[in-house]
Amino acid sequence: MRDVTSRDTPMLTAESVLSFTHVHKSFKSTTALSDVSLEVPRGTIVGLVGRNGCGKTTLLHHVTGLMLPTSGTCTTFGVSTNALGAREHARMGVVHQHAKLLGWMRVEQLLQYIATFYESWDVSLSQQLTDRLQLSRDGKVAELSPGNVQKLSLVLALSHRPELLLLDEPLSDLDPTARQDVLAILLEYFSARECTIVISSHLLHDIEPMVNRIICLEQGRVTANADLDTLKESYAEWIVTTRGTPLPLSWSEPGIVRAQGDASQARLIVRGELATRESLRVSMASRYDIDIESRALNLERLFPVLTGDRTTPPERAHAIR
Amino acid sequence: MLILIDANHGVPAYRQIVDQLRFQIASGRLPAGTELPSTRALAQQLGINPMTVSKAYGLLEAEGLLRHRPGLALTVAPQSVAQVEEEREARLRAALEPAALAARQLGLSKTRAVALFRQLLSETPVAEDDADA
Repeated sequence: MRDVTSRDTPMLTAESVLSFTHVHKSFKSTTALSDVSLEVPRGTIVGLVGRNGCGKTTLLHHVTGLMLPTSGTCTTFGVSTNALGAREHARMGVVHQHAKLLGWMRVEQLLQYIATFYESWDVSLSQQLTDRLQLSRDGKVAELSPGNVQKLSLVLALSHRPELLLLDEPLSDLDPTARQDVLAILLEYFSARECTIVISSHLLHDIEPMVNRIICLEQGRVTANADLDTLKESYAEWIVTTRGTPLPLSWSEPGIVRAQGDASQARLIVRGELATRESLRVSMASRYDIDIESRALNLERLFPVLTGDRTTPPERAHAIR
Repeated sequence: MLILIDANHGVPAYRQIVDQLRFQIASGRLPAGTELPSTRALAQQLGINPMTVSKAYGLLEAEGLLRHRPGLALTVAPQSVAQVEEEREARLRAALEPAALAARQLGLSKTRAVALFRQLLSETPVAEDDADA
């Protein structure tokens, strides 16, 4: 069969599914979100990343209206999150980090019970998902392993066919095989309909193939909000090797965001588009007696740069500017 | 057609797909008219976001390497001899750059490095030269 339509799916339209404008959130003296402004267009898979306690869960709670901003505005599906109703909630599917499910029910009972809240509940999808995830429907919810609780949470979040999926660490308790199953399910779900997914995770290797946008938080601030490909193409690691003359102790060229190494070899992280990096390379090659080998950085290796972690082990610290 | 990518590599996945298809088209392994898998099929096979495949296909279409006609599958576009030759040399150059750097860092003379490359070529069956032997 020729497949002519799928080339263009999913369509990316300008419509924002969720939007934050100058959002601040504080709990007593603690600032959880600080001046967060962002838009997530329909048809995007966002990887929400950052170190522990950086505000990922708080941000997700603001999308569903579970938390309201101290100042600033949040809208989801164009509706202010303090006015979200049943209609908007029916369009969202949420996996909470530590799901509290009704423990005394059996899995089958819980699925049937939750189904009653949604007009769009798809019994066959729910069946397919439990089958694929090898989740028994007979077990008592309270007796499920943490991994199975996470699988069940995903089935509960997907079976009403939401347009917006908010997944808070949905892979953390799963074994590697189950993680791959869940990621395949999410990609298939995404490919089959125009939806939007926000997935928070520390498992950067797992989410890297599926996300196309990265939002990085550090201490409640957005430190990166960019297309993943663009991010990867905006940085490079340079292995600089001297041809004889000792290397400088510090590197002050614009664009070098990190440096470590010794007099014979250094590892630099360089920021800038390819053309900018190329002109830096030419100018450095004329100033120093060096060879430069450029390598690309994957998400895991970009992470410390994006979260602004400038700490460097003391034994290599001499070359840090 | 086999495309293998490492989605955890620093080189973006769309770029890896573009490079591999360019290589396969330049090498003649994908002759003009070859049908490509649909965006969704390739994305599923590679376990990546379908938009990544769309992006790669879109770039190759814009470069004239792929052709999309309404109602038909995406196919490899016919290439001029000059185009193919240019692409082949660009691919080989990219493969040789790290070798040239290694030769210099190891302190091998140009003559020795070229001799090694000649030796490798004679150990590997390659296309015969058209004119110069």
